[in-house]
Amino acid sequence: MTSTETPAGAGLAARNPAPVRRHKYSRAERKLRRTGWLMITPALLHLALWTAIPVVATFALGFTNYNVFSPPQWVGLQNYVEIVQDPVFRKATWNTIVYTFWTVPVSMAIALVIAVALNQGLRFQKWYRTAFFLPQVTATVAIAMVWLWIFNPQQGLLNAFLGLFGIPGQAWLADPDWALWSVILVGAWQGIGIKMLIYIAALQNIDGSLYEAASVDGASTVRKFFAITVPMLKPATFFVLVISIINAFQVFDQIYVLTNGGPANATTMMTYEVYRSAFEEFRMGMASAQSVVLFIFLLFMTLVGRRATREDH
Amino acid sequence: MIIKSQSRRRFTGAAALAAVALGITACSSGTSSGTDAEGGSGDVSGDITLLTPIFEGTDGQQLLEDELLPQFYEDYPDVTVSVDYTTYGNLNEKLTTAAVSGAVPDVMMMGVGWIEGFADRGLLADQSELGNTEEKLLETYTPAIVDAGTWDGGVYGMPIMLDTRYGVANMELLEEAGYDAPPSSWDELVEISEALTVRADDGTLERAGFDLLSNDPRQVFETFLFSAGGDLFNEDVTEPTFNGPEGVSALQLMTDLINEHEVEDIGFSSPDAAVNPLLNGRAAMGLAHNNLWTQGLEADPEMLEKLEPFVIQGEGEGMFFGGTFATRSATSQHPEAAQALLEFLASPGPALAANEQRGNVPALTELLDSDYVQSNRFVQFSMENLDVAKREGGPPSWLEVRGDFAPAIESALLGQAEPQAALDDLAALVDEAMARQ
Repeated sequence: MTSTETPAGAGLAARNPAPVRRHKYSRAERKLRRTGWLMITPALLHLALWTAIPVVATFALGFTNYNVFSPPQWVGLQNYVEIVQDPVFRKATWNTIVYTFWTVPVSMAIALVIAVALNQGLRFQKWYRTAFFLPQVTATVAIAMVWLWIFNPQQGLLNAFLGLFGIPGQAWLADPDWALWSVILVGAWQGIGIKMLIYIAALQNIDGSLYEAASVDGASTVRKFFAITVPMLKPATFFVLVISIINAFQVFDQIYVLTNGGPANATTMMTYEVYRSAFEEFRMGMASAQSVVLFIFLLFMTLVGRRATREDH
Repeated sequence: MIIKSQSRRRFTGAAALAAVALGITACSSGTSSGTDAEGGSGDVSGDITLLTPIFEGTDGQQLLEDELLPQFYEDYPDVTVSVDYTTYGNLNEKLTTAAVSGAVPDVMMMGVGWIEGFADRGLLADQSELGNTEEKLLETYTPAIVDAGTWDGGVYGMPIMLDTRYGVANMELLEEAGYDAPPSSWDELVEISEALTVRADDGTLERAGFDLLSNDPRQVFETFLFSAGGDLFNEDVTEPTFNGPEGVSALQLMTDLINEHEVEDIGFSSPDAAVNPLLNGRAAMGLAHNNLWTQGLEADPEMLEKLEPFVIQGEGEGMFFGGTFATRSATSQHPEAAQALLEFLASPGPALAANEQRGNVPALTELLDSDYVQSNRFVQFSMENLDVAKREGGPPSWLEVRGDFAPAIESALLGQAEPQAALDDLAALVDEAMARQ
């Protein structure tokens, strides 16, 4: 019988490679490290108190029935089962996806066109940039109030404008066929500013010699846009895409002010249902579980975005 | 070098201290102050907080801080009141976060239908243990109002103001169409509404025959439910009854008024409309809040002469009342000071001033004779008919489910669901919420 056993201790040695010698810090290095830790302690405390603990608590509370006024009771996966079976949360999830699907690409496309236009050295360029960026830095509630007036079926600007062309007005926010589209319009409009800013920054980093070379080769403006500008903006585009998706999934303020999720839940979103569970129904456990579902959606979207941009890193 | 090293050590020490201090500050910032000296003068004293959805806006704030609280301080100079203003829309959030953080305000104003939930959770002090018994309150308030502040045998809220919903008719328009009185039945309501609806040649609605959409859909439904002779819950508040025949016929009537009789179009008005359509002639009749009178005094006083309030008559009498009650936290650090403020705010003078500022209905029966009530026909009408008015709420879980009413009612009005199905689905949600209690 041929022995195939390894010599005693050989396997052990293979499994336990020689220990790495710990780097011995000098006294000065230790002081430096200690100082460094002390310097970041406030930030770490802040991170632990306001981010880590709430996140862990949210995951834990998602498995409980917690109504704020009495201690949480462990209910296992019951909240998640209810979420899956709840037609309103399913509607909210679908609305959020539709909202994201339309607001993100539409506002990205418009932002790109505006950024390219504003990168041409137009007169009053800074004024235009400020104007386009203004919605981003204005409170959403204030913006929503203005849009409430624009959408007003009787005195609103939109119906008055359509009336000039003989087009009948609509009850934009009261009609379930139009309410979500109205909210999408506001979301797309408001998101243009920040995307435009990122695109302008990215456009200014494109090497001008590429355009010069293309011009020498006789490329048209459109050809240069699609053959140089768009490919060179790919990293910025993916960055904008990821942050836009995250922002779109977190839409809340404009729903709260414009429609309260109505009519008949036509515009309710995941974040709005989280709010309703927490502050209208006092179901913090359910709200936490819904937040976890939202988090999983966002994580998935972010991972997809990262995977898509991997070649650019 | 030694100096540098010492400086660095001092700096790192200071940084550590700052970090610890920051952490302690962060951890302790949510707790109530409780540092004031109770009984400094031997009488009632303390720093207390008041959370209020009334006294909102500049006028309300001025009334409370420049007129009412100075009166309170005359009697209680050692009490300091910090006021946290909010709206009914945000009150839930305020109370929830306060309960979570343990910083529950000493005195809280809350609405009809809210008392049960917070009393059941032990947040409110029982007033009956402090002499404000149900029997005593019944001497000065109507039974329905007292009932709205009680839960499980205790009194938890002192009534301050009521807000009512009932029908309002533009009598000038009715008389032009040959009607000399507001509708006295559902059939008449439908008939007159149809007769007074005006549309342009292209079908655009110019005047609604009956405006249903300027109020919260839940409260409109409740008013029609009451007029059908129905109730939200059974007598011992253990199961919903709004999906019974009365509720279904009420929602069917609302649905028919819009979709079959076309007396108003979806989107024609909304609860946040700048001007109520009854005030600018865009509606001949409608369901209205009693503060329409106050709005009318500012917008068009002459129009008020044409408007006539009426109880919506069906199998029962349709008049809804909500309201604002003063409550005291069960965990107040200064219960005597909080109780003093609560009783001051519920007393005739401050209550009347608060009602006048909001155009609402005083809860105290004795204020029926006040100049304010006698000069406000809508408030007067409300007080004279409070015996037929019904309220919302009932079970402790009411706050959890009341937000579910609007989508259900809207789905019926929009034709997405039959009234019976919409109300059955809603009742199932209510059952689930009640079972969770």
